[in-house]
Amino acid sequence: MAQTSNDGPASPGNNPPAKQLVSCGDVSCELMVDPIPRPTPDPIEVTLKPSVAKVTFLDHQKPNSKVIMGYAQSILRDRGIEVRSEIIVKADASTRMPEAMLQSFSGEGGLVLCGVSD
Amino acid sequence: MATYATLEDIENCMDNGWTDGLPVIPPYGSLVDEMLAAMGWQAHDVVGEIKSQNIVVRAEKAAATAVMAGCKPEYGLLLRALTDGLLDPLLNLSGVEVTTGGAAALVIVSGPIVEQLGFEHATNALGANCRANATVGRFAQMMRYFCGRGGGVLKSHGTVGHPGRISFCIAEHPQTEWGAYHTQYGLPEEASAITLMSAEGPNSCNNHYGDTGAQVLDTIGDLMCHYGQTAWYYRSGGFVVVIPPDHMALISKDFSREDAVEYIYKNARRSTELLTDVGRIAKDPIEFANVEPGELRSPLKNREQLTFIECGGDGGRFSAVIPRWVGSTHAVCKQII
Repeated sequence: MAQTSNDGPASPGNNPPAKQLVSCGDVSCELMVDPIPRPTPDPIEVTLKPSVAKVTFLDHQKPNSKVIMGYAQSILRDRGIEVRSEIIVKADASTRMPEAMLQSFSGEGGLVLCGVSD
Repeated sequence: MATYATLEDIENCMDNGWTDGLPVIPPYGSLVDEMLAAMGWQAHDVVGEIKSQNIVVRAEKAAATAVMAGCKPEYGLLLRALTDGLLDPLLNLSGVEVTTGGAAALVIVSGPIVEQLGFEHATNALGANCRANATVGRFAQMMRYFCGRGGGVLKSHGTVGHPGRISFCIAEHPQTEWGAYHTQYGLPEEASAITLMSAEGPNSCNNHYGDTGAQVLDTIGDLMCHYGQTAWYYRSGGFVVVIPPDHMALISKDFSREDAVEYIYKNARRSTELLTDVGRIAKDPIEFANVEPGELRSPLKNREQLTFIECGGDGGRFSAVIPRWVGSTHAVCKQII
């Protein structure tokens, strides 16, 4: 039985590695089937050095997110970093980002910070 | 036959993260093949996708998980419908896994399949020590855990979680006063079905001295209205109310299912201002929350968010309220064919 494989992260708890486990019991070796589906290709590509020194915020409307983002904006401005004044708002946290919004962000040259927790 | 080699395989699965924290049946290829046949799938059939994470789920993953959870091949057709439901985008499986809300995937089984597969629907119905309930519920949580974290890329963020994240499966009485649970989602009475939703843990509701259905419903409504319950702001989830026979005998004298929904929707409310004062509603609320100052606020955005299941044992005047997590927004009901 074919298996999806890649070099998964090392920590077994939260990041189970994708690898082939084999049982070598009394009679013969038998493959075990990896139950965990792996992303193909990787789910996102992260660029650590944005081409433009500018920060844009995306609000998912989680509790207190707007307050936290406004605070973060002011700290960044105090440090001389350009910050887009408008905070982009996604309709609600439980639904996927609309394709048009995703495409718009993929064209951003600066850093996009998303509020994803409370 | 289990051997020491089998125990080594169990430890091997544990060491590599192929576990929900409990020992698993090792997913030997021969066992997975048998489960695939029972589910009516080929190993590489695509049974679902989580598009936002570029995850394609193939049948062998679901079958391996079913073996690991301890499911019998006889459950195959139920597990097929359950897999369809778990990977339905409306359930938002990855959201259920990673949310701070600590939700579980609640499985409700209803119709003739309950007796055919030997589900417990009476004593301790919400936590039955019965293989069918325990392993089917465990399968759903393992699928959530294995498929919902982007192959290990994402981390679960549940703040407190609840025990249902190990197993959470409820079966309904085969004979009911108000009709089968799945009829609330448009399936015919005679069908067998699974219904899935993301949920918090159950709250027990005790009323031993009331002698009318209205008193019992008032107690249930009050339990839905405490300050700490989740649904005061977004109100995207709803509630499942579990009614065992003793409370049902009182309620069904005076209420149809529709009447009971209407009664709770109308009467189980709380002052919007008090909810704001205590911090359960933002002082500057978003439009989505639809906050109406001066109105008594229901924890339900609409009547459809309230459903009833009939299960549990005789001889105790308890019911239960299960709050749904706000992030799935939809329940998913699938007929078992």
